[in-house]
Amino acid sequence: MSSNVLQVSGLCKRYPHFALENVSFSLQPGTITGFIGRNGAGKTTTLKSLLNLVHPDSGEIRFFGMDFCKDEFAIKQKIGYVSGGISYYPSKKLSTISGVNRRFYADWDEDVYRRCVSRFQLLEDKTPSQLSEGMKVKYALALALSHHAELLILDEPTSGLDPVSREDLLEVFLQLAQDEQVTILFSTHITSDLDKCADNILYIRSGKIIEDAPRDAFLAKYQVVQTAEKPDASVIGARESKSGWTGLIPTGAPAPAGAEILKTDLEAVMVHLEKEA
Amino acid sequence: MKNLLYKEFRLALHPTSIIFLTLSAMLIIPNYPYYVTFFYTCLGIFFICLTGRENQDLFYMMLLPVRKRDIVRARIGMSVCLQCLQALICVPFAILRQSFKMPGNQVGMDANIAFFGLAFLMMGLFNLAFFTRYYANPQKIGKSFAIGSTVIFVYMGIVEAMTHFVPFFLELDTPDPENLTKKLLVLAVGIAGYAVLTLTACKKSEKELEKLDL
Repeated sequence: MSSNVLQVSGLCKRYPHFALENVSFSLQPGTITGFIGRNGAGKTTTLKSLLNLVHPDSGEIRFFGMDFCKDEFAIKQKIGYVSGGISYYPSKKLSTISGVNRRFYADWDEDVYRRCVSRFQLLEDKTPSQLSEGMKVKYALALALSHHAELLILDEPTSGLDPVSREDLLEVFLQLAQDEQVTILFSTHITSDLDKCADNILYIRSGKIIEDAPRDAFLAKYQVVQTAEKPDASVIGARESKSGWTGLIPTGAPAPAGAEILKTDLEAVMVHLEKEA
Repeated sequence: MKNLLYKEFRLALHPTSIIFLTLSAMLIIPNYPYYVTFFYTCLGIFFICLTGRENQDLFYMMLLPVRKRDIVRARIGMSVCLQCLQALICVPFAILRQSFKMPGNQVGMDANIAFFGLAFLMMGLFNLAFFTRYYANPQKIGKSFAIGSTVIFVYMGIVEAMTHFVPFFLELDTPDPENLTKKLLVLAVGIAGYAVLTLTACKKSEKELEKLDL
């Protein structure tokens, strides 16, 4: 049996104006993978395809070595999907929603649920519409963790959250991956979140995976340089800013004359690669 | 299925569906097109599906460890419960209406045994017309209900007209227990038709939902 928690091979989905093309990647247990790309790059379509919320035209998706179409029921018992907090049944009390959810999971653990409610300071007599965006995500996580989800698929969970709430959540993700070996696939365009917690980076552009690598290896490929004048074409994705021009150079390549080397982070790499594209 | 039905009644049930069940009492109105009672049942089902769309019910269900076909079975299962409950609650009111010392219904079919068979058939037609379109495109639920309602009112018009002009139906529009055998036959055919139409609606809806991209 494969040790991969998730194995995606050759996933394709065509729309009139957009296509996912041959998306392939895998996730190892206990890792956090950041799924990055600009708006409309195909992150949500990919994640929805994993759960058959949209039907892929071709490709193979295996969770825990099982085919999703054949073992949908068993697979869903072991995964949690959080799409930017809960958006369903906004006027029902959390206790009512939880009361329904717990009936569907063989491994529902009431003690874990109670601990999550306490840890995330959730008030069960509130309704989702009364929760802040951060609390909605935390409630969705509480539901996922209470059935011992081994894989969390999170679609933009930190969008719309204030920096403190985002930090809180990232802390939770790190603890889950390190202490409980939960695997997390985390789509976002807020790349600074991934600088803090991701082990791997999956980078999608226009429906194609252009990078699938450990975060440090990905960052080590580039250096961010800043020049006073517009640099030549050897600098990748040069952008003008108040303090001059910034861009990327491949690590080891000669920097332009007078260039200052800046700290390399995911955001800088992504914005310059997107500019170049 | 027990859990799915629990979810339907705990989260998806719209309060008007319960209120509409009390409209079974309309069968004691001396003169009234009694089929309208069952139109309200169907209206309640529409409200459940409409609020389901607003509450992202399909998305919620898709995340639970259930198969897509179970989503359809749960919703149609709940609808069958409501429709049967409506018919059941109608029974004492139909008996009460027949006990009145006054002529039968002057504006439509009497509330008798055959009426229930014809009403079941009407609800079966609604289920087929409504659910198959609803699951093909849940966002266009208004259109699905418009078609379902049209089916109901056309059916009502035809059946009511037949009780005036078609000899067999003339015999049905009488107080019980007159023409009991024929009425029991219509009841049996109506219930069987309802079952077949609803099962067909379920199978077709499952196929439609399977094709749907959320």
